[in-house]
Amino acid sequence: MERKLNAELWDKMHYLFRDFNDRMVHVELHYDFEIDIDALKTVLICFFEKAPVLHSSFKDNHVSPYWLVKPYTIEDVLTVAYPEDLEQAVDDFLTQYIPPDSDLQMKVAVFFKDGTSTLCVVENHMCMDGGDFKYFMKALCENYNNYVEKGISPIELREGTRSYESVYHDFSKTEQRMARNLYKNVCAKDEHKFPLTPDSIRDRSFIAKRKLSAETFNKIHAAGKKYGATVNDMLLAAYFYSLYELANYDPSDSVTISCAIDLRRHIKDVSDEGLTNHTAYMQCNIPERGRDIFETLQYAVQSSQKFKHDKFMGLYGLPLLKLGYSILPHAASEEIIKIGYSNPLLAMSNIGILESDKLALDGHEPTDGFMTGAVKYKPYVLLSVTSLRKELTLSLCERGNDQDRAIVERFFDLMEKNIGVLSGE
Amino acid sequence: MKSYIDYIEDTLQGIPDDGTLYRYKRQVLDRMNELAAEVTHAGLRDQKVMTDLVISEFPDLKGGFEKFCLADRKEKHKQLVNKIMLFGTPALAVLLLVLYLGVSFLTDAWSKTWLVFADGFLCWAVFLLGVGVARITAKRRLFHPIARVLLALAVMCADTAVFLLVLMFTGFSPAWVIFPAGVIGILLADAVYAHVTRQKLRIINYLIYILVAAPMLYVVLSGLGLVPWNVGWILIPLAVAIDIILLIAKLLNNSKYTYKPEVEQAWNEN
Repeated sequence: MERKLNAELWDKMHYLFRDFNDRMVHVELHYDFEIDIDALKTVLICFFEKAPVLHSSFKDNHVSPYWLVKPYTIEDVLTVAYPEDLEQAVDDFLTQYIPPDSDLQMKVAVFFKDGTSTLCVVENHMCMDGGDFKYFMKALCENYNNYVEKGISPIELREGTRSYESVYHDFSKTEQRMARNLYKNVCAKDEHKFPLTPDSIRDRSFIAKRKLSAETFNKIHAAGKKYGATVNDMLLAAYFYSLYELANYDPSDSVTISCAIDLRRHIKDVSDEGLTNHTAYMQCNIPERGRDIFETLQYAVQSSQKFKHDKFMGLYGLPLLKLGYSILPHAASEEIIKIGYSNPLLAMSNIGILESDKLALDGHEPTDGFMTGAVKYKPYVLLSVTSLRKELTLSLCERGNDQDRAIVERFFDLMEKNIGVLSGE
Repeated sequence: MKSYIDYIEDTLQGIPDDGTLYRYKRQVLDRMNELAAEVTHAGLRDQKVMTDLVISEFPDLKGGFEKFCLADRKEKHKQLVNKIMLFGTPALAVLLLVLYLGVSFLTDAWSKTWLVFADGFLCWAVFLLGVGVARITAKRRLFHPIARVLLALAVMCADTAVFLLVLMFTGFSPAWVIFPAGVIGILLADAVYAHVTRQKLRIINYLIYILVAAPMLYVVLSGLGLVPWNVGWILIPLAVAIDIILLIAKLLNNSKYTYKPEVEQAWNEN
């Protein structure tokens, strides 16, 4: 019997983003031992049953789209290889694209080399966002450990609703009504672009990353405390300032960067929530570059403070999207929403800390790793930030050429320099 | 499979079996076996994990049984209505024919007895349309506009039946007012439907319906001679006034739920 799953609001929205990015979320973790493949297969099968959207095909029905659950074999999900060139193998795997109408929405690979393992996972953003993907990875590791060490069946994965409406459930009746009345078109209207080369048919996806040492992280943290800023504010200020330098924006120009915010902050208990998307964007805007990076930081702090004190942070625009998708058939709603929606040209997603103790497999903590968002299509860019063992990884996924990669590397150089200035290095 | 059976039997112990319980148990077991086959196909080899996984997918069998019973009752009711619809039409035709001939021969009022047929089928159409409205309403919101159209048709059929009855049996000359009254009926039924099913933006429906219903009401009341034609027109500006009051009341009510972040004000002041 055919099994269908409802396509939720965010599933449809991420499907609509197909013109702006490839919708893949990536994670790479390195371990200094060889992962037990049979155990990993067992955990993955159990997780795929607990989250059936991972083995479903998205049906773009013109009236009402849905997920159709599909049969699969674990060999389709998990790739195991012993590559000569590990970096190339990882890069090739991570930059793959999973079409939404394919039978699987997540692919996993384990690459063995010299007694070490590299665990890579790629999943469709329509199924879950970075917040739940982080949870998924932690649950994967915990269940793997319990299975390998104690023989406990790996079935502990959150199940439940995938609806966007969960963000309202912990509000009072009046607050719910207020939040559901926030009909606001949250759009990034800034025209400032990341200075990439023009589109070309020869462009291909790449993931550029830059690591900042634990020492640097500590310095950022300490400096942030001194200036009344969070690590996120510090990175945001460096991002703004580096952009002014890289793209030669007029210092008097106002620039906006969209920052991802996790809407789970509105949900007190997520234990009965299914894997899904609960991410919105806030528009962090600075009125001008400022005399120096410290003034830029001041503007960035003021801008993010404005949102942080908002009770309904990130909930603006949801009722409008819901209305758009509910009053018309899907094909028509998409066209209407496309008219009103403008994708941010510059964005940042601080995915946060990857807790090494919770990502340990069989007592081995990951030696290195990062998580990053979708590969953006020019001229859109998204800077992702994760930290593991207090080491920050800045990553930027783009579909571009070697020149674009060089521009992104130059951007990372500027980021590093500006973070150094901010943290008093 | 034995462990699945044991799990089902243990969990559903003590529930009286009237045949429904057996069907539920059978359905659960079939679904468990199906899931086990799926995960085996996916590549799961550890039997203990498979058993735990399959059982974990059916955590609340008692709750599931309650839902099964409810769905079972609904299904039986649906089947009964289906049978009535299937066999009811020819049975009604025969019954109406017998009634028509019987009444006609007894009363010799052939010029009026055709109403038995007309009103009989109109009432039957109202029933069928009502079933359609109920069934479509149970579907997703996307299909509700179809239910609203069917509801309008049902009201129109009922209205026509009443019109024919009144006209033929009373010869009441202003019987034509039943048609504009029918339009009011359609608008009223739709407004009630929108309210009960909590349709989005239904206030717009109400505002439009009040404006449309007012001239109809004017025609009905004046046509019946209850209100003079030269006075009744007041109903139209009255409807506009009601609309404005309703709109203001709605806006005032909504303004209570408008969120004004204090922080944003502070930011603007700064």
